[in-house]
Amino acid sequence: MDKKYFVSSSPHVFANDSIPKIMYTVVLALVPAGIGAIYYFGPRALWIILIAIVSAVATEALLQKLMKRSLTAWDGSAILTGLLLAYNVAPSVPLWMPAVGSFFAIAVGKMVFGGLGYNPMNPALLGRAFLLASWPTHMTIFTDAVPRGGTVSGIDMMTNATPLNVLKSAQGILANPQQFTPEQTREAGEAIGKLYDSLDKLFMGQIGGCIGETSVILLLIGAAYLMYKRYIGWKVPFTFIGTVALLSWIFGGTEGLFTGNPIFHILSGGLILGAFYMATDMVTSPVTFRGRLYFGIGCGMITFVIRRIGGYPEGVSYSILLMNLLTPLLDRWTRPKVFGGRKKNE
Amino acid sequence: MSVVHEFTKGFYKQNPVFKQALGLCPTLAVSNSVESALGMGAAATFVLLCSNFIISLIRKIVPAKIRIPIYIVVIATFVTIVDLAMAGFLPALHKTLGIFVPLIVVNCIILGRAEAYAGKNNVGLSIVDGLGMGLGFTCALLLLGAIREFLGNGSLLGIPILSANFEPVLIMILPPGAFLTIGFVLGFFNWLENRRAK
Amino acid sequence: MNDILKLGGLLMLITVIAATALAGIYNVTKPRIEAQKALELERALTVALPDAPQEAIFPVQQNDKVAYYIGYKTPDKQDTVGYAFVARGSGYSSVIETMVGVDSAGQILGIKVLSQVETPGLGTKVEEVKYGEQDPWFTRQFLNKSADQLAVDKDGGDIQSITGATISSRALTNSVVQGYQKLLKDNLTQK
Repeated sequence: MDKKYFVSSSPHVFANDSIPKIMYTVVLALVPAGIGAIYYFGPRALWIILIAIVSAVATEALLQKLMKRSLTAWDGSAILTGLLLAYNVAPSVPLWMPAVGSFFAIAVGKMVFGGLGYNPMNPALLGRAFLLASWPTHMTIFTDAVPRGGTVSGIDMMTNATPLNVLKSAQGILANPQQFTPEQTREAGEAIGKLYDSLDKLFMGQIGGCIGETSVILLLIGAAYLMYKRYIGWKVPFTFIGTVALLSWIFGGTEGLFTGNPIFHILSGGLILGAFYMATDMVTSPVTFRGRLYFGIGCGMITFVIRRIGGYPEGVSYSILLMNLLTPLLDRWTRPKVFGGRKKNE
Repeated sequence: MSVVHEFTKGFYKQNPVFKQALGLCPTLAVSNSVESALGMGAAATFVLLCSNFIISLIRKIVPAKIRIPIYIVVIATFVTIVDLAMAGFLPALHKTLGIFVPLIVVNCIILGRAEAYAGKNNVGLSIVDGLGMGLGFTCALLLLGAIREFLGNGSLLGIPILSANFEPVLIMILPPGAFLTIGFVLGFFNWLENRRAK
Repeated sequence: MNDILKLGGLLMLITVIAATALAGIYNVTKPRIEAQKALELERALTVALPDAPQEAIFPVQQNDKVAYYIGYKTPDKQDTVGYAFVARGSGYSSVIETMVGVDSAGQILGIKVLSQVETPGLGTKVEEVKYGEQDPWFTRQFLNKSADQLAVDKDGGDIQSITGATISSRALTNSVVQGYQKLLKDNLTQK
């Protein structure tokens, strides 16, 4: 490191981090959740992860060759995209789906815009959105992959067996009780009660869901490591999760205001995965202090609105994608004043 | 200015969709199947042909100050004719194209040709130009419609082409698929142009 | 001032010509459009009440609106075949309208989707006719079932819902039940 005598413009900050170092560290932080997924959902989860990664790296290498760019497919960013994509699909999807999803994520989500650093949206989430819009039946059915040890007791028979799915259909029944039999209404109420009683399973990951989103504890271990290494900040994840918690406490209940269960909303779905690993993506999130706060709050609000009144039970991925698109504006609005610079009206 | 050139320019050189990027709204909206692409293309071609004819006919008596309202009245008349005729004779197609037929009125290809061509050229050339541009628009719609229906439904003109094991890429027949397809097709044509320029 | 009058006059002349042309076209196509609409209704009624000949199906008016249709075996109003009604249910992205035919015991004789704008590839499958088949597979399940006991499998019934389109399936199914209950009520007040 003693021969770095570059003459360059400001900022004259030198960090010992490189793209591969950061990327591989994030991949490492995601490994515990992956091991958890393989434990809960079996070797199929491993296959999906491997296929997604291979497809992502191969797509990037191929396109860089075609575009006559220098080959950087091994800098870890493609691996991370593939890994995150695999974490965002149901464990029962056909094996060609992660391959197609990774191809789309890299080709359309990243290379079309010019490669790493130029992508306006998180490529892995774009790949997930593509898969969800193209093959919604595969992406939204979780019954074929029951986690080891069974799912949350008593509600196994629902075909869409993620906790948020159950909550959504139960709340749908409770909102229009006259359209259903009293028995169905009672069952819906019981289902919600059971969900709120199984927060420990949600925390450990013994629930239906996408491959890498279920185990909160394993995701948090990785996130803590990344925070210790200062690769992710606290602003986006904490404002994101905090907003979801606040809104779900106020508006999330079925018996009026302030009856929701914020802990349930934090632990279920892809909130932890999204808030710590995808909303914090360096390329697609704001760089300013206030920008990051607004970004996290915006993500949280969109997530909750989709969960509560949208057509899908889960809204983390769409909320991040939408806020990604706002990132350039947020950065512009929250640009700090230049020290010693003039005020606007002078 | 040869007649042949006036006819063929609409297909590639000045293709309304791929080269002039005009009329993108109907292009995006109705290119989800070959059938609706054909219907929309035929309707727009008819309107374009008729409006070019009438406008070039009256171009000498139309004062410059009120030419736009007059063009729009002429175009709207023909669009209404197409709409009524379609409802009467092709009800199924009328149902699928729905709101997009009345919207041909504001399709910028038609007003664009009236303003840029029919208002300045004689009747014969204007008809040739309208036909060429209309067919060029139809071809563009057909290309997009074929790509989207093939990928998004595994069929062409409603007839299944791919085996039943193929799981259609639904997004292609949804609105985002329209943007993806037109983006890549436009990119492809620009790439061709750049290569030719070299 | 003179100029404005001249331009305005010319514009008016052109709009008058256009309006005249349109009026002519409208008069020519109007009967055809109406015939098409009548034909569509007729076709739907034939599907809903397959055993009643077209000329033996009569609309029943209530408050100046067609409440339902009665189909007979013969045009002289002998031997009731059944009743047909239009059911409406809010689906995922549109109101799904169906024409449903039931016999006097409430068994479904026929059903046809009149209009829907659901998600392509998912909700639109309520109308999907599989290649090589004659009628849509989803609504075929309704035939010969009691109209007041319909429910999709997720609600404990025996109508198999469309994969990925539970909302559309449920909306259609429940709208048939509600439409039938309304028919019962209307039919009672009629007698």
